[in-house]
Parts: sequence; structure tokens; C-alpha cells
Amino acid sequence: MRILLVEDDAPLAESIAQALREEQFAVDIAADGETGAHLGSTETYAAAVLDLGLPKQDGLSVLRSWREQNRPLPVLILTARYGWTEKVEGFKAGADDYLTKPFRVEELVMRLRALVRRAAGHHGPKIACGRLTYDAQLGGFEFDGMPLKLTSFEWRVLSCLILRKEVVVERMDILEQAYEGDAGGDSNSLEVIVGRLRRKIGHEMIETVRGRGYRLTAGGEPS
Amino acid sequence: MITSLTSIRARLLISGVLFTILAVVLAALTIQPTLDQFVRRSVDASLESQISVLARAVKPDGTLDQDRIQSVGPFVRRGAGWAWVVKGPAGTLRSQTVAMMDPRQSGGPSPWPKAEGPRPDRDRDRPQGGPGPQGERPQGERPQGERSARDAHLEKPPTGPLKESRRWRSRSGWNESFYFRTLTVNSSRGPVVITAGAPRYIRDRMRDEGLRPLLLSLSVLGVGLLAAMIGQLELGLRPLRKLGASLAAVRAGEQRRIEDRQPKELEPVVAELNALLDHNEAALAKARSHVSNLAHGLKTPLATLAVRLAEPGRDPDGSLASLIAQIDGAIGHHLGRARAASPGAPGRPALHVRPRLEDLVAALSRIHAAAGVRAELDIPDDLFVACDPQDFDEMTGNLLDNAWKFAERTVRVSASRDGGRAVLVIDDDGPGLTDEAAAAALVPGSRLDERGAGHGFGLPIALELAELHDGALTLGRAPIGGLRATLALPARAGETAES
Repeated sequence: MRILLVEDDAPLAESIAQALREEQFAVDIAADGETGAHLGSTETYAAAVLDLGLPKQDGLSVLRSWREQNRPLPVLILTARYGWTEKVEGFKAGADDYLTKPFRVEELVMRLRALVRRAAGHHGPKIACGRLTYDAQLGGFEFDGMPLKLTSFEWRVLSCLILRKEVVVERMDILEQAYEGDAGGDSNSLEVIVGRLRRKIGHEMIETVRGRGYRLTAGGEPS
Repeated sequence: MITSLTSIRARLLISGVLFTILAVVLAALTIQPTLDQFVRRSVDASLESQISVLARAVKPDGTLDQDRIQSVGPFVRRGAGWAWVVKGPAGTLRSQTVAMMDPRQSGGPSPWPKAEGPRPDRDRDRPQGGPGPQGERPQGERPQGERSARDAHLEKPPTGPLKESRRWRSRSGWNESFYFRTLTVNSSRGPVVITAGAPRYIRDRMRDEGLRPLLLSLSVLGVGLLAAMIGQLELGLRPLRKLGASLAAVRAGEQRRIEDRQPKELEPVVAELNALLDHNEAALAKARSHVSNLAHGLKTPLATLAVRLAEPGRDPDGSLASLIAQIDGAIGHHLGRARAASPGAPGRPALHVRPRLEDLVAALSRIHAAAGVRAELDIPDDLFVACDPQDFDEMTGNLLDNAWKFAERTVRVSASRDGGRAVLVIDDDGPGLTDEAAAAALVPGSRLDERGAGHGFGLPIALELAELHDGALTLGRAPIGGLRATLALPARAGETAES
């Protein structure tokens, strides 16, 4: 799960990014509105965290530009602005959630996970696929009721697959969700990660669809 | 008097009344002597024409031509009080009206000044009695005088050139009750004194007859002037009253500025007032923006601090995080109070309640998406309130947020109009508050940490804002189980609506 963080205050941006990485997220930081608008328009993110008071282009107009381009990414507005009028404006501009500074990191993480889950069309906080269960609120995986230990990359790939379970997920999509910015991995490294995941949850759960990508399945036909 | 003079209207009215009365009285005072003069001239003219008629009857020898003696003008009317006497060397001739002027009848002093001596001594001894209806000439009464005049005329034909033998001497005068004119004509046999007179009451009556309609029209003029003045005051002071109403409307928030279109004299005042309003508004906006900038400036580093503290091991017992929460609470509290303590910008627009609340409910549904609370709205579309939009959002946002936090499944928002007020009711089906807790939740300025967890400072701020907008906020028990917050705000007609 890769998150776009648009925040001009460098210490805060770094702190948030670090806190999110602790929670397995991949994070790209944009320090001004223009960069943020560009990244949000061109890259694929699971969600964006958007400050409103930004240099070059303010947050609301960044959000509006994404919505005008029909970018579906869920957006959480993170602002020092306190008033309800600003909140309403944010939501009318197309925001999906709103947090005021200062905030608790757990709250931000929880809200981001919920945003990503809802954007993928899941209503309940738990997503199950065969013996595998993902707790979208806490971000943990269980396999046969036991917590599953995963590295960050493994978690990103597996969460990406389980949010779109039973559906073929393009390689590129998975890579974009797993690697930050220009770090960009390749198909080989993805294959390595998928191999490790298969050893943990069983070979049959992750199908390789040649030329396209992977499918997490409980054992049915691809849709 | 002093208090009444603080009113421009009273000042103008009182001074106007005084000046009008003064002008009317002055006019009356000026008119009287003019009229007197006029009356006197008219009396003079009558007397002189009678005298000249009589003078023409005087023959050069001092006798009178009986045929030419006649009464003219007012002298014709018997009983009018006009009379004449001709006294000459041939004797004394008088109009039959003379008797009427006798002091013994009129009760006044003799009309004929003794010094003038137009009447022979024997006239004073003439018998009493009015100018009886017995004939044109009072021969019965004064046969001697009449006769002598006639005799003189008959017996002594004029001799010598008339012009040379006659010299005119005219004079006029008053005694107590009589006005007369005298002409002395010199004849060959001595002076002939012609006197014609009118009693004083004639003059008074003529003057009064002239004065009465004049005074009447003066009073009508005075009353008319006063009425016109009152009308003028009404008309002239109307812009001032309108200006007052306009200012009141600004204060009530119905309009933002005073209308620029004013009478020329008021334009500078209105321009100054509007400049003052603009200045206040700008100063208020500046002050608010300073407070808000300070708050937001603090919040970003505070957020960084909070995120850093969340790193493992930094704040094991959570005490530092609670300090941050406390700082944040204080900032929010004072930010809200800064807003509530300063009256909003003047000119509160009529705020369309329904779209505003729908937006807020939509926002809250997303913020509290995880809670799965359902919102039920029952708000009439034609409800408007007089309220600053941001303040409205703060009040209803805080109340709705509160409802959402405590609701189990449902938040119910309804609104209705109750006379001049719009009443918004926000119910939740949560645990609600006891009466004591509800009262405590609304106490403004109480310490943050004394307040019940979760209710935060949203409710007191909402209360302060409601009171700022001449509204009210009460807490009670909702029929669906939880807390009911009732917010009443001044309603506004929706014609000038902007949502």
C-alpha cells in the first residue's frame, strides 16, 4: 500500500512518513501543492494524505484537480484548520476523510486503512479469503486464526492482493503499491516476494496469470 | 426643555414656532399704523370733499349759496355721526346731523374745539334732542342759524373777484371723541370757517373692519406656516430616521453597510460610518486571522511532536501525549472563544438552513464513517436564519459531531420555524446526559479537564456562539434515548437568500 503524503512542513512530513512505514505503508512525500498534484495525477496510490495550507498550490485546489481528472484515490485531509466550514469545504471538494493537527498516529493509520478498504469496496473491517483473514482496522493478517508474520514488502503485496481478492491484479499495480517513489522494483523482485508469500500461506492461494499478474483466491475460477 | 432641545425636531419646531409668532405679531403691529393712516386718509378725503362742496357755496361776500349746499358721501346718512358746520359773517349754518354729535347726547365731550370757535356761543344753548325725522333741515331746532345763513346768502350777493377775496386755510385735529377738518375762507366780510368732522368711533370702526380680515388672514397664515413647518420637519428629518433604521439594521446584521444613496448633507456622515464599519470589519478579520494563524502555526509543530512521541519508547506512559492533547485542547478552546467573543462581521446574510446542514451531515457521515451511524434529516426547505455562516457551521458542526460520537445507530436532525425563531433539534440515541452533566457541559470557561470526557469544548462554544447570535442552546433528553440539543436562532425571511 503506497500512500502519497502532501505536506510542506518537512519535520512533520518525515515523522508521519516514518510512522506510516512502521505500519508497513510505502510513502511518497510531496513538499508542495504542484508536486503533490502531479504525483497524484500520474502515479497510483492507495490513498493520499493532503495538507491544505501548501505552497504553490493550495490543498483544496490540488484535490479538485484530482477529482476533475477522475482520480479515484481516497484522500484524507490533514490540516491545522479547525473549523467545520473548512471541513465541509474539504468534503465538498472531494475529500474522503479529515483529520486536524495534532492527531494521534494510530488514528491516522486506522483511518488510512479504512479509506483504502472502503475504496476497494469492502464494508466490514475484516476481509477473508479462504484460510487467510485481513484485519483492515489493525492491519494484521491471520492464517488459520494465527497471526501471520510478514515483512513490509510481503505485507504490501499481500494487502494489495487481498483487497482485490479473486481478481487478477496487474504486476505494475502491485509494484506501484509496494515500492516508494523511484525505488521501483522489477518483476523479478516481485516474483521473489510472491514466492515467499506462497511458502507462508500455501502455493495454491496465489495464482500466477501469465502476462498479467497475480490473483489471490480461496480456490475458485478467475473472474 | 433641556431634554427636549436635544432633539433636532424639537429645536427646529420650537424655533420655528417662535419665529412664526414673532413674524405674525410684527406684521400685525406694522399693519395697524398703516391701516390707521389709510383710514385717516379715507376720512380726510370724505371730510375734504364735504368741505370743498361747502366752500364752493361760499360767495365772495361770505354768504352761502343755498342751492349749492348739499351733503356728500357719508354726510348724507343721518345717524352715521358725520356732521359739518359753516360759520361766517352771515351767521352759522350746520348739517342736521350736528345735533347727534352733541356731547349731551353722545356722552362725550364737545366735538368742536373751543379754540376753533366755529360755533357761535348760542349754539351751545340750542335745545336738546336728536336729529328728529322732521325734515332735511332742522329749522325747528335752529331756525336762527339756518335762517341767517340763508339770509346772508340772499341778502348779500358776492362782490369782487372771487379768487382774490378768498384765502384758504386748512387744518385738522382731534379732540377726545371727534376728528375734524376745518377750512377758513376769507370773504369780503370776514372769514368763513367750514368744519367737517367724524366721530372717533367711525375711525375705530373702519380700522377694525379693515383689521379683522387682515388679522384673520394673518392667523391663517401663521397656522399654515406652522403646519408647513411640521410637514417640512417630517420630510426633512426622514433621511435621519432612515439612517437610524439603517444603522440598526447593520447592528442587527441585516445589512453589512449603510446604503450609499443618501441626501447630500448626510453623505459625508454615511461615508464616515461606512468607513468605520469597514475598518471594524477589517480589524476584526485581522484579529481573527492573527489568532487563527497563531493557532495553526502552533498546530503543525505540535502535530510533529505528537507523531514523534508515538515512536516506540518515546512516551511509554502516554503522559507526554496527554500534554499535547491538553495544549491542543487549549488552542481549540481559545480559538473558538476568540470567534465567539467577537461579534461576527456585520451584515449576516440570510442563511439557508437545509443545504448547510446537509453538507455538514455529509461531512460528518464521512468523518464517522466507521461508526455506521445513520442520519435522519427533517428540515423544511424554506427555513433561513440570521447567522454568520461559519458560526452556524461551528455551532451545528459541534452539536452534530457530539451526537455522532455518542449515537448508537441514529442521529436525527429536525428543524422548524417557531415565530421569529428557527429551532434546530439534534437527537441521538446514545446514553445521553444527566441534567447535572448537561448543565456542566454547557458551562463556558470552566476548566477543560473538569469537563466530561468526549464532550470536549464544543458545547460551550456552541452555546456562546448561539448567544452571540441572539439565539439559545438547551440540552435535554431525546425521545430516541440519548441527548437532545435544541438550538434556536433568529429566523429570517428567505428572499435575500444565499446558501
